[in-house]
Amino acid sequence: MSTRITIAIPSKGRLKEEALKRMEAAGYGVEPPKDARTYRAAVAGHPNVEVAFLSASEIARELGKGSIDLGITGEDLVREGLPDSENRVTRLAQLGFGHADVVVAVPEPWFDVETMADLGLVAADFRQRHGRRLRIATKYWRLTQKHFSQTHGIQLYRIIESLGATEGAPAAGQADVIVDITSTGSTLRANHLKVLKDGVILQSQACLFAPTPGTDDPDRRETVAALAGALGA
Amino acid sequence: MNALRSFSARADIETILAQLGAERLDVPVLQPADPFLDTAGEELRRRIFLSESETGETLCLRPEFTIPVCLHHIGAGESAPRRYGYVGTVFRQRRAGGNEFLQAGIEDIGNTDSAPADARSLADALAFLEALGVSAPTVTTLGDQAVFNAVIAGLGLPQGWAVRLSHAFGDRATLDATLDALAVPPPPPEVPADILEPCEARDRAALVNALSMRLRIAGLENSGGRDADEIADRLIARFDAAEIAPDEKALATLRTFLSISAPLNEAAGALAGFAEAAGLDLSDAIAAFGARATEMEKAGVDTAAISYDAAFGRALDYYTALVYEIATADGLVLAGGGRYDRLLTMLGAGSDVPGVGFSVWLDRVAALTGGDA
Repeated sequence: MSTRITIAIPSKGRLKEEALKRMEAAGYGVEPPKDARTYRAAVAGHPNVEVAFLSASEIARELGKGSIDLGITGEDLVREGLPDSENRVTRLAQLGFGHADVVVAVPEPWFDVETMADLGLVAADFRQRHGRRLRIATKYWRLTQKHFSQTHGIQLYRIIESLGATEGAPAAGQADVIVDITSTGSTLRANHLKVLKDGVILQSQACLFAPTPGTDDPDRRETVAALAGALGA
Repeated sequence: MNALRSFSARADIETILAQLGAERLDVPVLQPADPFLDTAGEELRRRIFLSESETGETLCLRPEFTIPVCLHHIGAGESAPRRYGYVGTVFRQRRAGGNEFLQAGIEDIGNTDSAPADARSLADALAFLEALGVSAPTVTTLGDQAVFNAVIAGLGLPQGWAVRLSHAFGDRATLDATLDALAVPPPPPEVPADILEPCEARDRAALVNALSMRLRIAGLENSGGRDADEIADRLIARFDAAEIAPDEKALATLRTFLSISAPLNEAAGALAGFAEAAGLDLSDAIAAFGARATEMEKAGVDTAAISYDAAFGRALDYYTALVYEIATADGLVLAGGGRYDRLLTMLGAGSDVPGVGFSVWLDRVAALTGGDA
C-alpha cells in the first residue's frame, strides 16, 4: 500500500481559498498543479501528502466510502449527504470559516408560529383546512426529516425537493415553509421569512473530517495525525 | 419460516381467506409512493424502499396492504361494500434483520353498519390466527379514538389543546409530554404593534385586515397556503390561552380517563361510571362502544378476554374509532386492525367511504408455530 495519504479540498470558491490558506498556515503549502486542468496537487515538503480537489458535496461521499484520508468540507454537506454520518466519519476540527446555519423558516406574517411546537400544531390540521399536507421546500431532506420527525415528533408534512432559490418557494406557492441555509439572514428577510426560535437545525461551518475508523497502516496513520494536528485537530 | 413462502402454505392462507368470506385481491408490489407518504407522513420515507419510474413518478415497494387495497377500491369505482382478502410480501427498511415480511388480512370497505363490521373484523382476525395454528394464549388490546375525542370535546378545552391531544393519542410518551406542557400556561407570541392591538382587543375583523396587509406585502396573498382568517383564529386562541389558567381539573380528568383499563364486557360500564363522576356527557360514544361490544359477543368473541385500554390508539390521523392488536403473552404483535373512516377520502374518494380491516404478520406466526402454519 502506498504510504501517501490524500486530503480532499473543495475545488472552487471561497471554501477552496480558505482551505488553501489554512493548509499554508499549517505548514502544508499546496503547490499549484503544473497542469491547471488536473485535480491533484502535491504539498511542499510533504511528499507523503497528496491533495485532491473535489466538489464540496463529493468530499462527503468520498469520506463515507473511505477513499480519502482527510477532507475539508461544510458540515451541512456531510450530515445531509452521508447517511449515518455520525458513525461513518469523525469530525476532527471546526475550521472557523464557511459559516452557515441550516434553519426552518416560515412566512413572517405567521405571527402565531414562533416555535417548532407551533408549527406542529399548524401541520396537524393542515389537511383538514387545505386538503393537503404542509409542504416544506428544501434540498436538505435528511436534516429536515431528522429535525421534524425525530427531534420534534412532527410527521404530517411533505418535503418538496428544491434545488435552488428555495427562499422563493412560499411566495411562488410551491411550499408553505422552507428549510435552507443562511449566513446573515438577509435573503430570508428579503423574502419575508423568519427563522423559528428553535428552528436552527445545524450551525454549520467548514470542518476537517476523517473516515471512521480510517487506515490501519501505522505509517499512514502517523501522516494523517500530523496533518490533522497541524490543521488544529 | 420458509414454509409460508411455499405454494401450499399460500394456498392454505387463501383457503382461510375464502372460509372467512373474503374475496381475493392481488395488488401490485410496486406502488406509487405519494399515498403512503401523504397519509403516514415523511417519517415513513426512511422506512420504505423508494424507486422512480422512467417518467419520474416516485414508486415504492408496498410497505403494507391497506392503502393499495383502498386505492384499488377507489380506482375500480366500487359503490357496493366489499370485503377484500390478501396475502403477500410487504417491504420495510430496518437497520437489522430482514426487510421483507409476509402479511395477510382482510379489509372491509364501504360497509356503513360499523358495529357489526368492527365485530366481524376482530372475530376474523382471531379466527385467522386460530386457523394458522396459534394455540398459545394471546392478548387482545382494544382502543377507541372516538371515545377519546368525545372526552376531549366534553372537557371543553381550548381549540389548540384539543388538536394537540388528539394528535398525540396513540403515542403514550408524546401524550404525557403534551399533558405536562398543557399544565404550564404558554405566553402569548411576540408580535408587532399593528398585530398586537387587535389581538389584545380581540377585534377579529381588524386583525384579519392587518394580517391580510402583511400577507400582501410578503407576496403570500394568493399563494394557496394559510390565509389571514386561519392565522387570526390561532392568534386569538393563543392570546386566550395565555390568559386562561390551565384547567387543572380538566387535565386531571383526562389523566383519569387515560388510566381506564377494563375487560371489554365491563368497559362500557366503566366508561359510564367515569363519565358520571367527571360530569361529562359521553352517551353517544358509550352507546356506540357498547353496541360494538354486543356485536362482538354475537360474533362469538370472548369479550371477557379482551382488554379495553383507554390510552391505546394509533398515531395516524386516518384511524377514527376502533383499533386493536393481538399479541403473544410476551408482547409480540401477531395481528393489528382498526377502523379508518378518514382514509379513503384522504386517498381521493369523492365521498365518505368507511373501512375497517386487519393484517396478520405471517412470519411471526410461523416462527411461533414452528413454521408449519
